[in-house]
Amino acid sequence: MKFWVVRLVSLAVAFGFAFGADAWIAGSMPSAYRLAVLAGLFVTLAVSLNLINGITGQFSIGHAAFYMVGAYTTGFVSNQFYAQQPLGQPMWLIAMALLGAAASAVAGLVVGLPSLRLRGDYLAIVTLGFGEILRIVTQNISQIGGSYGMNVKPFGGPVQTLWVVLLLAFLCVSICRNLLKTAHGLPFVAVRDDEVASSAMGVRVSSVKVTAFVIGSAFAGAAGAMLAHAETFISPDMFRMDVSFIILTMVVLGGTGSITGSVVAAVVLFGIPEYLRTLQDPITKLPLAVPGQALLGSLVAVGLTVWGLREVSRRVHGNVQNRAVAYGGTLLGGAVVAWLFSVVFGLIPQIAALKFDVNMLRMVIFALTLIVLMLLRPQGIFGHHEFSWRWLGGLLGRRPREATA
Amino acid sequence: MAGLDLSILPQQLVNGLLLGSIYALIALGYTMVYGVLRLINFAHGEVFMLGAYAALFTSWALGFGPESRGQPPQSSALYLVIMLLVSMGACALIGALIELLAYRPMRNQPRIASLITAIGVSLFIQYAGGLFLPQSPPPAISEAVSPYRGVMTAVLKPPPADLAATIDEIRAREQAAKSLAEAAKAENKPEAKGLEEEYRSIQRDLRAKVGEADSQTVRITVPHGQLIMLVTTLVLMAVLRHIVLKTKTGRAMRAVSHDFDSAALMGVNVGRVVTLTFIIGSALAGAGAMMYATVLRTPLSPFLGVTPGIKAFVAAVLGGIGNIPGAVLGGLLMGVVETLVVWAGFSGFKDAVAFVVLIIVLLFRPGGLLGSSKVEKV
Repeated sequence: MKFWVVRLVSLAVAFGFAFGADAWIAGSMPSAYRLAVLAGLFVTLAVSLNLINGITGQFSIGHAAFYMVGAYTTGFVSNQFYAQQPLGQPMWLIAMALLGAAASAVAGLVVGLPSLRLRGDYLAIVTLGFGEILRIVTQNISQIGGSYGMNVKPFGGPVQTLWVVLLLAFLCVSICRNLLKTAHGLPFVAVRDDEVASSAMGVRVSSVKVTAFVIGSAFAGAAGAMLAHAETFISPDMFRMDVSFIILTMVVLGGTGSITGSVVAAVVLFGIPEYLRTLQDPITKLPLAVPGQALLGSLVAVGLTVWGLREVSRRVHGNVQNRAVAYGGTLLGGAVVAWLFSVVFGLIPQIAALKFDVNMLRMVIFALTLIVLMLLRPQGIFGHHEFSWRWLGGLLGRRPREATA
Repeated sequence: MAGLDLSILPQQLVNGLLLGSIYALIALGYTMVYGVLRLINFAHGEVFMLGAYAALFTSWALGFGPESRGQPPQSSALYLVIMLLVSMGACALIGALIELLAYRPMRNQPRIASLITAIGVSLFIQYAGGLFLPQSPPPAISEAVSPYRGVMTAVLKPPPADLAATIDEIRAREQAAKSLAEAAKAENKPEAKGLEEEYRSIQRDLRAKVGEADSQTVRITVPHGQLIMLVTTLVLMAVLRHIVLKTKTGRAMRAVSHDFDSAALMGVNVGRVVTLTFIIGSALAGAGAMMYATVLRTPLSPFLGVTPGIKAFVAAVLGGIGNIPGAVLGGLLMGVVETLVVWAGFSGFKDAVAFVVLIIVLLFRPGGLLGSSKVEKV
């Protein structure tokens, strides 16, 4: 009884959140609408790759290909058939998400069946290879625009897609979470932890791997369908292997196997470059320009701070206050070093003459964030933990009640 | 497939081998690092890119700056050697630094964490390079230095004898007509115009015949620069082979690659071996980059390393990653296949074919061509 109440309430909250966010963002900050859609798509992508990479342990780095298959299939179908269908716009969007999922699931099956015999790095390079092959083939088919890309404008204008995207993300998260929490997911985790042992215990390793791969690809395909209809323009360049790398990074940075981690990392990593893009000089209203000495000074400071933090985490033990003081002191020291070095570098005229648009810097900062986070927390932000109310309580200093088994 | 021109096939094969030798040089770096650390060093392509820039800046320092285009100063082969050495040195330094700053702290962490760091380093170098490094045409030195000038031609199948005879005959007539026409012109005779026209028509004839003969000749033309490139590559590979097989360091490297922990227990200075591996691999990439920029005249951009990097990586996996002869074989194969695809008219698929070959090979030999696929034991 309680189970069903919880389920129904969760569903209601999810729907409420999806439609509420859609209405609120569309109403109050239309410029953020596109960003919210893309963030939702990245959450879906990261969580679905986490199912393959983190939960089943199959090292795939070609996720962008399935994203692309979904986008192109549904874009093409939408362009051809939207005019003569009776469904109406919202239902058509959902139908397209399903179609994209189906198309990518087939692609996932085709790619997965032969390549999942391979392991580790070989599997990684083969998935990367399939991704590139699919992209280059798309680039050479002129019927879908070739390398120029394809317009997807069946609705004749911008469409409200955020709620579909958010519901898709919710669906993806809940399916992965339920897999982890129920008996259906145990074979996946078993394959990750020890392939040989699990096959000895009667797990059908190949079928588990392929299942995970197909589910993951299907979600990527649905995300691709939403991308095509939200952006109204797709081109093969939007699905380069950098995109696969970024999705993989979200998974690892959040903590391999942690769904919460993937969600958080997806939002953060997508958000950092987008936030930097919008930064403006307070006076001139032009994109913020960073002087050369500040950039170099902070580079040096980041390096030293990371080194310092690593030393602190290795040497300083004891109570929370000691550690907080040590970490805080290191961060403060980093800020001082940044200031000192920027003053020193400012004395060198060649450096002081340099100015960098924050727009050009955003990928540098993105890459630095990756390196720094990995150096400081190799297991990812969340490790393999998940968000739970009890964990939150523990973080706030409340001692968790003993769980009754 | 109408346009398959068999007579240029040998030329294409040679071109493929030359291109492949560069891929092989880069692939060696990937495979050596993978051998000792089991890490896919995604930043290797960026080391390659920086090597090309080191060569460019050296050429500027030697007086071939962007403003000297047009009247190149006096030059010699020594300049090329200097550029090669600077490029190798710079890359070795950068490789060692990357290892020290980014990979060494990750040594005891899960491999995927190192991989993400590698991706981060690669992105960082690309985009930071975008801030500081200029987009530039290839170093002007390659047009000025004499060893790079000229070509070597080997004729495999001469044109048919009767065609050659016809050409000789027409050429003689052309000479005669030319001297006649010139003489007439010099004396301002009225028939000068007619003679001139006759001479032109014979010349056209000759050109047509020569063209015909050309299309029936099978020859291989290799610019001297590319020969130098090939020889340098072979020398470097021989040196590498000597280091790995004959020296104490090489033995340590092989031991670490065989079993990291046991090698450490046996008293091998593992940290030093890893650094040396990065230094050697990066230096090879630097040599490849210098030749890629000067001989193959590739325009420089901060994203130069991405495509050759990924292809060389594919080549390394193709040959069996961690296997040094495999990397060379894979690189050469990759170069040949790529050239053949362009020759067959599918130039749009040039970058995809590397992966097609890779996937086909891996499906039948999961450990790569020369690698051994281990059976996992419990």
